[in-house]
Amino acid sequence: MSPVVRVRQLTKWYGPRRAVADVSFAVEPGEIIGLLGPNGSGKSTIFRILTGYLAPSSGTVEVAGFDVVRDAFAVRREVGYVLEDAPLYEHMRVVEFLRFMAQIKGLRGRAIGRAVDAAAARLDLDRVMNLTAGKLSRGFRQRVSIAQALLTEPKVLILDEPTSGLDPHQVIAVRDLIRSLAGHQSVLLASHVLSEIEKIASRVMILLDGTLLTADARATTSTDVRLRARISGSESEVRTSLAAISGVREVSVEQVAAAERHYLIGAEPGDRVRGEITRTLVAKGLELTELVEVRADLEQRFLDLTRRRSGKAAA
Amino acid sequence: MTAFSVLLLKEEKALFSSPIAYAVMTVFLLLMSYSFTLTLFLSHQPSLVHIFFQMFVLFMLTVPLITMRLLAEERKLRTIEVLLTSPVTELDIVLAKFVASMSLIVILLMLSGSYAIVLAIYGDPDWGPIYSGYLGLLLLGAALVGVGLLASALTANQMIAALVSLSLFLLLWIIDSFGYLLPSPFDALAVNLSLSVHFKPFAVGSVYLSDVGFFLSVTLLTLFLSVRALARR
Repeated sequence: MSPVVRVRQLTKWYGPRRAVADVSFAVEPGEIIGLLGPNGSGKSTIFRILTGYLAPSSGTVEVAGFDVVRDAFAVRREVGYVLEDAPLYEHMRVVEFLRFMAQIKGLRGRAIGRAVDAAAARLDLDRVMNLTAGKLSRGFRQRVSIAQALLTEPKVLILDEPTSGLDPHQVIAVRDLIRSLAGHQSVLLASHVLSEIEKIASRVMILLDGTLLTADARATTSTDVRLRARISGSESEVRTSLAAISGVREVSVEQVAAAERHYLIGAEPGDRVRGEITRTLVAKGLELTELVEVRADLEQRFLDLTRRRSGKAAA
Repeated sequence: MTAFSVLLLKEEKALFSSPIAYAVMTVFLLLMSYSFTLTLFLSHQPSLVHIFFQMFVLFMLTVPLITMRLLAEERKLRTIEVLLTSPVTELDIVLAKFVASMSLIVILLMLSGSYAIVLAIYGDPDWGPIYSGYLGLLLLGAALVGVGLLASALTANQMIAALVSLSLFLLLWIIDSFGYLLPSPFDALAVNLSLSVHFKPFAVGSVYLSDVGFFLSVTLLTLFLSVRALARR
């Protein structure tokens, strides 16, 4: 099956500032992609290009087989877009807004009512349909915004920070909704909250300063491993001993207990370093009660990748 | 329904659900009715020439109130991004806002038509200047709405949009007074940019193609520039 979104060497300049730099990725049908990056990393710019709102400075972007520049209209028909902060017309009632959006998205006749009813039921909007948008809570505004994006059952759904400002119950509801779309629609989801992305996305892309660090953070192998060690003895002696071992990059204290300390050791992968650590500590008379590898979570991978990137930039 | 008609309906609802439209109509009718009555009793002439000049001034003062929110509000609320990521064009959006604003101008002109009816009942007015006056006001209204729409397209701040369009209107109103002080060919240029110079013939019953062309050109140019301003992002 061919990708529903294909981005090749996308670059976007805002005057002299490069917001997106040479980004390439593809999204398969039914995938839920998380786009992770700090504020200002270029997530919203990529989304605006994918929806045809902005034109790329260079590179090509195809959505559902249509080029976003040449066939912007066709692209907009295939994409549902939920903007950050859910902008709505304050004077419009929810039902009016959804009908209006259904009409400008090209629905006609009875299809409008059917689409509005289905979206309202899906987002549980029935009790607010006759309220004006200005009177809605933050959570309902977000839900109305998602409802309008789902009206035409687009092939690609793009959500920019969909859970920002929501309470935990609303976050769970939105998360469940997005999960329910998996397999039917391709979803691109931007967030700067690691835990949020990790819980929803089937694949996570990391963006920093407009550059895509990885198109699949979970599959990215870190060059270093992290070991958790429980060691009794003086901290300075432990640090000196560990620092003398080749392959140990960094040592930090994670937790201090009565008789022992929990250390986190960044080291090169392989059994050699672990064996060396054990032998060295025992030889020094220090008591090692545990040495386990800590599985790198998304947060760690994010930190690794961004640190590596910063290191390269500094070099 | 086309995208344009859907957008037009939305704009009409927005315009006529806001108090601005009714405030403009009320102020307009109060001032014009007072002026019409006074002029009629003093001059005893079945003519609307004075009324047309006063409507000319009132249009310049009220059109910025009608147009200031059109695109500035959409930019500020970021609903413009909602529209422009849907299958509608910048031209659809600009035209819908223009036509909706023009509908209020037409309503104001129709309400002022009651003065012509009063003249017809109690006197024997010369209809030529009345027709040409209304044509002039319609063309003037279109040009002013175009300029106001452009000002609104260039900023996200409604007050700035209103101030810019009001300043432009006042400048174009009196520019011919300064124009005579300028050296050639700038004097002719300044005089020909004057709204009052192009409007006066309509009010007194003369319709020149050059005046029609001026107002139509301003309208089309400002609509084109508004579309460009919206497309530049």
